Amino acid sequence: MKVRTIEYYIREVFISLRRNNWMSVASIGTVAVSLFIFGMFLMMVMNMNKLAENMESQVQINVYLLDKVDREQARDIEKDLKEIEGVESVGFVTKDEAMERFKDRLGDQKTLLDALDETNPLPDSFEVTVTNPDLVKTAAEKMEKLDGVECAKYGQDVMEHLFEITRLLRIFGFTLMLVLAFATLFIISNTIRLTVFARRKEIAIMKYVGATDWFIRWPFVMEGMVLGLFGSIIAAMVLRTAYTAMAEKVYDTLAFFPLIPEQPFLTYITIVVVISGMVVGAIGSAVSIKKFLKV
Amino acid sequence: MGLKLMIHMKNVTKVYENGAVALNNINVDIRKGEFVFLVGSSGAGKSTFIKMLFREVLPTSGILTVNGRDVIRMANKEVPYLRRSLGVIFQDYRLLPEKTVYENISFAMQVIEAPRRLMQRSVNSVLDIVGLRDKYKCFPHQLSGGEQQRVAIARAIVNNPSIVIADEPTGNLDPETSWGIMDIFQRINAAGTTIVMATHDKTIVDAMQRRVIAIEDGQIVRDEAQGGYGYES
Ligand SMILES: Nc1ncnc2c1ncn2[C@@H]1O[C@H](COP(=O)(O)OP(=O)(O)OP(=O)(O)O)[C@@H](O)[C@H]1O
Ligand SMILES: [Mg+2]
Repeated sequence: MKVRTIEYYIREVFISLRRNNWMSVASIGTVAVSLFIFGMFLMMVMNMNKLAENMESQVQINVYLLDKVDREQARDIEKDLKEIEGVESVGFVTKDEAMERFKDRLGDQKTLLDALDETNPLPDSFEVTVTNPDLVKTAAEKMEKLDGVECAKYGQDVMEHLFEITRLLRIFGFTLMLVLAFATLFIISNTIRLTVFARRKEIAIMKYVGATDWFIRWPFVMEGMVLGLFGSIIAAMVLRTAYTAMAEKVYDTLAFFPLIPEQPFLTYITIVVVISGMVVGAIGSAVSIKKFLKV
Repeated sequence: MGLKLMIHMKNVTKVYENGAVALNNINVDIRKGEFVFLVGSSGAGKSTFIKMLFREVLPTSGILTVNGRDVIRMANKEVPYLRRSLGVIFQDYRLLPEKTVYENISFAMQVIEAPRRLMQRSVNSVLDIVGLRDKYKCFPHQLSGGEQQRVAIARAIVNNPSIVIADEPTGNLDPETSWGIMDIFQRINAAGTTIVMATHDKTIVDAMQRRVIAIEDGQIVRDEAQGGYGYES
């Protein structure tokens, strides 16, 4: 494309953005809201996936002992545990150690434990690592059958919940996104339609003097893309601020939650949001100029 | 005549979607440098004839070549290139009101991505041809009808078309102004450009003594190399 053609396009785009200022603002706003919601879901789903992945990779079983079990018996249980197929190592965690760790994890919120009045409700336990995630389930079942074992927990139930939540988020997010995509396409194509209508005389003359369809189409497509770009920049800025703020909250209160670090995650989200905005803008305008361009 | 065939119509028929037969079995050859008047009463099919030349209207059957291009079978994406070899002028000028005279003309070069260095020279030269050099900054509403039509002519010829097609270019103008327009057409024609003009203006046709094609009810009823309007008005 020639430089002066590009200059021409850019000028045309800004003239019509100004001419349709209210519709332009409405379009930009719709794009911003839609992409903000899209970005939120994207961030949530990605964080859920990360969490699930994290848990999957932890092939650790916590074996909690009954209160009545003494150290002697515990050593027997340890021996039995080591004989179970797939078990790699077994570490003993006293109830006091467990309490310490729990306090650490609670961080700022450890004052909550004051309510316990120095009593320790946590049991003694073993931390068993397993060589292969596939063996976790059967190994845990065998462990629960041992005398003196209250229960053997691993990530399973949490993971199942997590997968369920992620699945629902995906379905809900996807449906919502479809609806929003249509709303956005609709408003952008209406805005561009106004522009096309305002310039139908120009378009007719362009056609008589032999401008190609693509030459005529480009300024409108670009206008749609600019609307999408502005909207997506707003959405991206809000998303970045929101994620940073949320991340801070999470680090303060739920330190153990494995949130995806802000960088390069936010850069990635920004790129996805901006590209989606421009694509939606381009499609929206392509839809509305199609019928005005019959040769 | 050995001159290049600019327009060739063989058995051309146009039936509109609603069944109206606008042109019926038209056979015409127009060569380079000819000046052709298209006459006929209202509804005869003159505008349809004109519109087929730049493929605003597609013939229903027959053969139509313009400037060596097969208008009927050409792909849509070739249409712009056909039109670049034609200059089209309408009764209602069709200027862009928010652009100046200069911009209205340069617009036609801009949108076909003509080289920038040619632009100023070409626009000035067509402004000289139509005699509006000193009005290049005016907006269309600041001009008389005749002046506006001259701007439209300048726009039509700025890309050096080989054929100029005009549908009643003097239809909205008084006789004296019309003669100014015809004078410009004669000069363009003298420079070698083929001209096809549909008109109702008996005085002009009679005085010019050029080729006249008379259409009635979609058929050619007369085709004279040097004719008059031929009807009592
Ligand atoms: N778009 C159209 N759809 C249907 N019929 C049409 C269309 N355009 C023209 N016609 C019909 O075709 C016939 C020829 O019309 P055309 O416009 O070519 O006449 P004309 O000779 O230019 O008339 P005038 O001198 O009034 O401009 C008329 O009967 C008209 O009603
Ligand atoms: Mg007509």
